[in-house]
Amino acid sequence: MLFNSVAFLCFLPIVLIGYYVLPARHRWLWLLLASYVFYAWWKIEYLPLILLSTLVDYTLAIRLVRTKTRWKRRSLLSLSLLINLGLLAIFKYLILFLPDKDPMLLTIYRVDHPLLGILAYGIYFAIPVGISFYTFQTLSYTLDVYHGRVSPEYNLGKFALFVSFFPQLVAGPIERFSHLMPQLRSAVAFRYANFSRAFRLMLFGFFLKICIADNFSGLVDAVYADPRNFDLFSRWLATLGFSFQIYTDFAGYTLVAQGAALCLGVELMDNFRTPYLSTSISEFWKRWHISLSTWFRDYLYLPLGGNRVSRLRWVVNILLVFAISGFWHGANWTFLIWGCIHGGLYLLERFVWGKPGAEAGPIVRFAHGLRTFVLVQVAWVFFRADTTPHAMEHLHLLFASPGPEQLAVKGVWIVLFAAFVLSELWLYRSRFDRAVADWHPLVRWSLYAFLLYAITALGGVANHPFIYFQF
Amino acid sequence: MQITGKIGIRVAALLLIGALAQILYKNTLWDTDLWERGQMLIELEGMDDSCKVIYFGESSNFSYHPTRDSLKDRISDFLSYHFNGLTFGTINHAAYHAGLYRALIARIEKGSAVECVVVTMNLRTFGQAVTHSPLETAMQQEKVLFSGYPELLRRTFLTLNFFDNQTELDRDYIKWKEWTFDTLQSTDPEIIFKHPTIRSWCAVEKFPDSNGVEDMEKRSLADHYIKAYAFQIGEDNPRVRDCDAIMRICSDLNIRVVFNILAENVEYADSLVGPELVWLMRQNRDYLVERYSRLGALMVDNLEAVDGYHFTDQNWTTEHYDAEGRQRIAFNVAKAMEKIFSDEIQLRDAADLNGK
Repeated sequence: MLFNSVAFLCFLPIVLIGYYVLPARHRWLWLLLASYVFYAWWKIEYLPLILLSTLVDYTLAIRLVRTKTRWKRRSLLSLSLLINLGLLAIFKYLILFLPDKDPMLLTIYRVDHPLLGILAYGIYFAIPVGISFYTFQTLSYTLDVYHGRVSPEYNLGKFALFVSFFPQLVAGPIERFSHLMPQLRSAVAFRYANFSRAFRLMLFGFFLKICIADNFSGLVDAVYADPRNFDLFSRWLATLGFSFQIYTDFAGYTLVAQGAALCLGVELMDNFRTPYLSTSISEFWKRWHISLSTWFRDYLYLPLGGNRVSRLRWVVNILLVFAISGFWHGANWTFLIWGCIHGGLYLLERFVWGKPGAEAGPIVRFAHGLRTFVLVQVAWVFFRADTTPHAMEHLHLLFASPGPEQLAVKGVWIVLFAAFVLSELWLYRSRFDRAVADWHPLVRWSLYAFLLYAITALGGVANHPFIYFQF
Repeated sequence: MQITGKIGIRVAALLLIGALAQILYKNTLWDTDLWERGQMLIELEGMDDSCKVIYFGESSNFSYHPTRDSLKDRISDFLSYHFNGLTFGTINHAAYHAGLYRALIARIEKGSAVECVVVTMNLRTFGQAVTHSPLETAMQQEKVLFSGYPELLRRTFLTLNFFDNQTELDRDYIKWKEWTFDTLQSTDPEIIFKHPTIRSWCAVEKFPDSNGVEDMEKRSLADHYIKAYAFQIGEDNPRVRDCDAIMRICSDLNIRVVFNILAENVEYADSLVGPELVWLMRQNRDYLVERYSRLGALMVDNLEAVDGYHFTDQNWTTEHYDAEGRQRIAFNVAKAMEKIFSDEIQLRDAADLNGK
């Protein structure tokens, strides 16, 4: 079920009414049911895989605390990694090695063997949305239990809720057991303040997704499909546009997720903090997809030795972590390259041009910020392009002779985009729900009215689900 | 109580914002949005008040042969030439089908002058290749704008994808399932489906030469014909549901319905694939004729009314005809409409129309 759908706008109130009407001790069951309905809304075929992932990590975590022998514990952990990452490999990455990327051709003409047909079916049609998110969430749980950082959950249903909690199931934030589970266990009374904040978060989240991301998506798709056909202005606009599209798409989703969770008394972690205002690549990664970058920090970078290794080893580790985090996004070499570019930039920043210190003046900070912004834009081209040659061609065409067509930009989009840029500057040190809390009610409600009108009358109609669902 | 009051005030404020937004939207952006995405509604609403017959069609109505046709008149134009004193209106848009016609017909005002709608029935639009086509999403978007809700709500539904908004992959998935698992059933002892699913029918070897090498061009065309016509219409077919709805809506509006089953290149289907496919085409035609005659529609069976020569795309499944083909279809429709407009009809032969 998409957040930006009528189904969700009906689903959420039903869940909330049921949640607050039911006795506290049964609420988790209601939430679990709601989460599975939410997930199965896409395809019922998705459920077996999440159930399998849940059962594996539930069982292995309990076995882990009951097993004292080191090699047995390691074997159990390896089994969990093997199953979780194996599912990920099959459903996300096997596609890289299939000979034909056209599903209909593959299934209708080429595949005569039923087993291959089923495999093609699975890979092309049943790739479960959000598999990377919940797999990483369950993996972090097993790793935390293994390292003794948390005690395992003995109630299978409650553990299943931790894995499938609907607001953050399909695109995060990737929550840690120690942060989410205590909140899911506790019985929350109805609090007006929570709903008030949730309303603001969701309103602003929908604005970002529907008014900014969806309006940009049509422009971006048109140019990326055939950049040669467009003039230089359009090519540059689409290149920049994608960076705003992906940011507002994902940040918008996260805000709606946070709002939905807050209605249930659960505070999800922040995933974005105005990343394009970063003055360095390292700062960018502290502000972009925070739940994923901290996941890689805690479960990959630090176990590899962190910064307490030789310089050469550290360089290799950094490149490895960035490359894997890029590849996490999907079965395309472009994602790997995107990750490597960021790893390379991170190292260059560390060894060549540095980053502005706390004492740096506004001009220096602006110059660093501009450079970071431009470099991030270049990397996004690889993220968006279908193939590496397409990405290279797109970058080349930014400076090549123009094509005949120009994107039609509506005046209203410029107004919306300006509103978004202003909001980014304003929200550098705060979050929307907190930032407007102290405003005069009349001003605040005028803002709500503007956002509501923009969402209902000016939203994009490009029919794009959230970009990160595919990951 | 305090909380209830607080919430009540906010809900009221939201409703007020919604009402003001509707007024603002209707008077500013609505026309532009409709022009961009729902022009057919503008055409319908702008139709002459005296219009008694509306012809709903897709590209078959306005396509013509690029070299052979001196007359480029549409089927609906040819049709109107057979009647005196009747005002005709035409709604046509490439790739439209009963789902779109249904939404537009529902917007005809009660008490209007319209007495009859002629609705194009394209056999292919009942098959999986079209019902799950990637074009469907864009058409479903248009359909949202044709609904009768307040304008701002329609626009919001568009934004929130409140329509059949499946992705191309989702549609492929459904198509794949149906083509792989749905089996064709014969009720004629002489027709046996050796390969009862589309997938298995397409997979069979076709047009091999003496060395067993297939003629791939003909083979892919044959497979295309199989995918376009090898299906069996039943009550659960989405287009049947749409046509049923058209019958209901027109019954409420007191409007007669004429369903115009378009001509298909049956000869070519026979030569490419064989009698099994032709049998399916005829079975589907018979189903539609029987069902909608029973429900009170006038059925015009043009399925085999146009010879293969008159199809402008000789190597494809489109229902595009040269002038003679279009005239033939219009003539058959006019003849059927005699039952409704016996006073106004004046059937004219092709020579008459050529001289027009």
